[in-house]
Amino acid sequence: MSSKGKLENFKKRMQPTIKETKFVLKRIRDSPLSIAGIMIVLYNLIIALFAPVLAPPKLYDAYLIPRDPSLGYTYIPNPPSLGHLFGTTSLQVDLYYGCIWGTRFAFKLGVEVIAVTLLIGLVLGMLAGYYGGLIGELIMRFTDVILAFPGLILAMAFVAALSRVPGWTTINAVMLSIILIGWPGYTRLVRGEVLRVKTEDYVEAAKASGASDARVMLRHILPNSIYSVIIVASLDFGGIVLTAAALSFLGLGSPPGYADWGRLIYDAIPFAATGTQYWWTYTFPGIFIVLFVLGWNLLGDALRDVLDPLYRRK
Amino acid sequence: MGLREYVIRRLLLLIPIMFGVVILIFAILQLVPVGERVSIYLTGPKDIKPEVIQGYIRMYGLDQPVWVQFYQWLRQVLQGNFGYSEYFQEQVLTGLLARAPATIEIVIYAAPIIVLVGIWLGVNAAAQRDKPLDHASRILSILGTSMPSFFFGVVLSAIFIAQLKWVSSGRLSYQMEGLVPNMINIGKWHQYTGLLTIDSLLNGRIDYFIDALEHLILPVTVLVFIQTATLVRVTRSSMLEALSKTYIIAATAKGLSRKEVIYKHARRNALIPVVTISGLVIGGMMTGLVITETIFRFPGIGNWAAIAAQHFDMPIVVAYAMFSAVVFVLANLIVDVLYAYIDPRIRLG
Amino acid sequence: MEKQGSEENLIQIKDLYLNFYTYDGVVKALDGVTLNLKKGEILGVVGETGCGKSVTSLSTLSIVVPPGRIEKGEIEFNIKGKTYDLLSFKDATMRRVRGQYISMIFQEPRSALNPVYTVGDQIAEVFFHHRREEIINAAIAQLKKDLEKSSRLKSWIRKYELSLYGKMLKNPKALSLTLALKIPIVKRFQNRMKKEARELVIEMLKLLNIPDPARVVDMYPHELSGGMAQRAVIAMALSCNPLMLIADEPTTNLDVTVQAQILLLIKELQKKFGSSILYVTHDLGVVAEICDTVAVMYAGNVVETADVIGLFKKPLHPYTQALLESIPRPGERFVSISGTVPSLISPPTGCRFNDRCRYTLEMCPNVKPQLVEAEKDHFVACHLYNEGK
Repeated sequence: MSSKGKLENFKKRMQPTIKETKFVLKRIRDSPLSIAGIMIVLYNLIIALFAPVLAPPKLYDAYLIPRDPSLGYTYIPNPPSLGHLFGTTSLQVDLYYGCIWGTRFAFKLGVEVIAVTLLIGLVLGMLAGYYGGLIGELIMRFTDVILAFPGLILAMAFVAALSRVPGWTTINAVMLSIILIGWPGYTRLVRGEVLRVKTEDYVEAAKASGASDARVMLRHILPNSIYSVIIVASLDFGGIVLTAAALSFLGLGSPPGYADWGRLIYDAIPFAATGTQYWWTYTFPGIFIVLFVLGWNLLGDALRDVLDPLYRRK
Repeated sequence: MGLREYVIRRLLLLIPIMFGVVILIFAILQLVPVGERVSIYLTGPKDIKPEVIQGYIRMYGLDQPVWVQFYQWLRQVLQGNFGYSEYFQEQVLTGLLARAPATIEIVIYAAPIIVLVGIWLGVNAAAQRDKPLDHASRILSILGTSMPSFFFGVVLSAIFIAQLKWVSSGRLSYQMEGLVPNMINIGKWHQYTGLLTIDSLLNGRIDYFIDALEHLILPVTVLVFIQTATLVRVTRSSMLEALSKTYIIAATAKGLSRKEVIYKHARRNALIPVVTISGLVIGGMMTGLVITETIFRFPGIGNWAAIAAQHFDMPIVVAYAMFSAVVFVLANLIVDVLYAYIDPRIRLG
Repeated sequence: MEKQGSEENLIQIKDLYLNFYTYDGVVKALDGVTLNLKKGEILGVVGETGCGKSVTSLSTLSIVVPPGRIEKGEIEFNIKGKTYDLLSFKDATMRRVRGQYISMIFQEPRSALNPVYTVGDQIAEVFFHHRREEIINAAIAQLKKDLEKSSRLKSWIRKYELSLYGKMLKNPKALSLTLALKIPIVKRFQNRMKKEARELVIEMLKLLNIPDPARVVDMYPHELSGGMAQRAVIAMALSCNPLMLIADEPTTNLDVTVQAQILLLIKELQKKFGSSILYVTHDLGVVAEICDTVAVMYAGNVVETADVIGLFKKPLHPYTQALLESIPRPGERFVSISGTVPSLISPPTGCRFNDRCRYTLEMCPNVKPQLVEAEKDHFVACHLYNEGK
């Protein structure tokens, strides 16, 4: 076949995908909330990516917030000024730096946690759904047990225990505990989807033509079960960051001086107890959290509105 | 399947789950080094001496294989001994029971508000789609699910407690709080329920009643705000779904007024899935309590668990986790049974 | 089949325009629909999905599903000799028409019934709405009888109940009544009323040949078979002996045998009650079976109206002709109408059937054809029959 013919062929095969992409884009354009969500997430992403430029790191760990020696190590926070756009909090930790790198930290934490959670969820969910039987039951009972606890509370217990084990930093403990409380949800979701897709004709056809289990699972079942997983994951991204921030707020998360919004608010508690005079110590981190989570919530909603009809049409 | 079989099946499932819960907690405990883990078994301050601790380690087999330890621990948990807290200097169970009334008091006021407001808003927002009420409730739910409760709480606390000084943190204002133990001693105050609002009325002290109520406003507001947002969302979407069904048109075609169609026909159908969600709302409340009580220094079990966690006091943290799990699982069970009961399609099979 | 009923019009839909305001644009769903239903007659409204037949029938009840809106037109309804424009009615007035003068039955009976209420409750609703006085009076009569043979205590209770029912009749908004309706045990007084209504419901169910009606009354919709559920829906619709019944594809979702039963039942009931029926369907077979007159709709317009025999014998509109040709006959090849229904968001000017029509004339794409009487009582909207007009 000539190269021109190949090009024609490729264009033809991509047609349905192009049509669907156009459909998706149009639906997004029609919904102002979806656009807002995408914009907010992009905004956060840019801040996270350009953190080293916006707030050049000065210490060995970029996530440790530098202090300004000229201000000394006084306990009293300083209000926003030219040198410190968002002011400082206790011990002269710079809030601007903290909030900017906090964004990066939120993404880093979120991505790492979601990646592992999704991996576990997909593998276990697929196994439980495809094979069923004893393995499936065992996995399901295990998820039942973890889901019997309200999330944050189990995470608290786990972090508290894990911190006593030498070699575990609190941040890693936090990430592991959020993974622990997160994977059951995804496992159940994936299993549900697999059960639904398992009975479809094309799966039967693939099996009948002798495809191996792995091939059936990866090539046929996975792509068709993944839509709701994506939707839930995007809605959940904000939730993960919120949980981590809550743990930090309770003093169980990042160490002092770390660029973590929750930690910053934890540090601000004593100042909030004196009134609104040190408002910048908690307001700026708070706004950053709200914007971050809001963006992901809106994005998740948008994805759900868009992918749902697509997904049903399939 | 029929209601009876459904209930029996769910109850039976409870056993392996609770067993699993206990095992998971035990596994978490195993992470903690032996020297600290032994505090689970202590019963009083007199036990904190090296010889005694060694004794306990041997007695409860902490130097023995895992399953022996598990058996010993489970045995004493079932007897009600959850250990001794070094930080609070009290038995865990005692501490739990002492602080429970404060938490229950918040829940008693927050839960009805969440349910009533959430459902009302959700139903009416869907019924008046795209009108002002709908937009307002959507903004509320989006904000409620994006705003961390601790930020909201800290801001409220800074404004109302610290700056405007309208209330203090805790359950009562400082002077009144100090007076209560004295009054109990003289016999002028009977501790009927442990719930300050009710006790104060029963003791005839309106001033204490008002004070306690004022102190409840902020914690309840924070708790309500977050949970209502979720409930509104779910109710609204469920109501929209119900309103799109044919029987709604059929009901209108019979001559029913719009109000009757919405509240008599659509709402009941819409509320069925909402019932299932309430189980999760209860779970969310328990999590929310930890944060809310901490911010407002409300001496309930949430605050207790949070402080314990900060000081790595495992007996309390673990006891709170088990307690939450039990409540959560029971709540979900009740909710599921309720759901099976109200939906005639499930009840009658 | 002998033409039933008088020559008088029961309902006349005149030039009805209805638009749907959607995200994708304004859907001009009804483009000047004109229909007549005579008293005692069964009018079939035929057309493919999306032609607007259901929307038209719902409009007679002033039920317009948002984002729809009626733009123009009149719907003249004849009640006891006087004509009213239904579209000018306020909602409160319309509520008295719905269920009482005009009723409706639906395509999927178990969806048309609310799954969380019993069948009996839902049929009783119609009685409570439109035959309320009858029920209350029956309850009062029963109460008076019981009053005579009751003890001192009970007679005190029954006198109170009597007063409440009396208020319901004369002063329904009275405060004492509203309060009584809210207090748990007191509001049980309504049980008598409910019992009377229940009797009426059982009567209706018997009329519809539903076996064991006393049991069915307390069943939930999902417990009934499709056929039984549809009978219950019909019972609901006929409770108040409406002048007009709208049947929106009531047999489409039923098994063929059940279909036949229900059709027969509808015919019988129509004779017994004397109602006129607006029968919406896409099935020409059903039309041939029970309709007296037929209106064919296409893309929001009525394109042909005639009595049923005339339509089948001599279809005038090209679309009708194509429809009849496309009915599968044994031994013959499948014939379908080429092309698709035009977009109603940007409909063509002129005749909407133009680009699928085999007889298209020069004026067809530009001028919309109006309904003209091509033969006696046989109307067509097509330029082929317009010559010289």
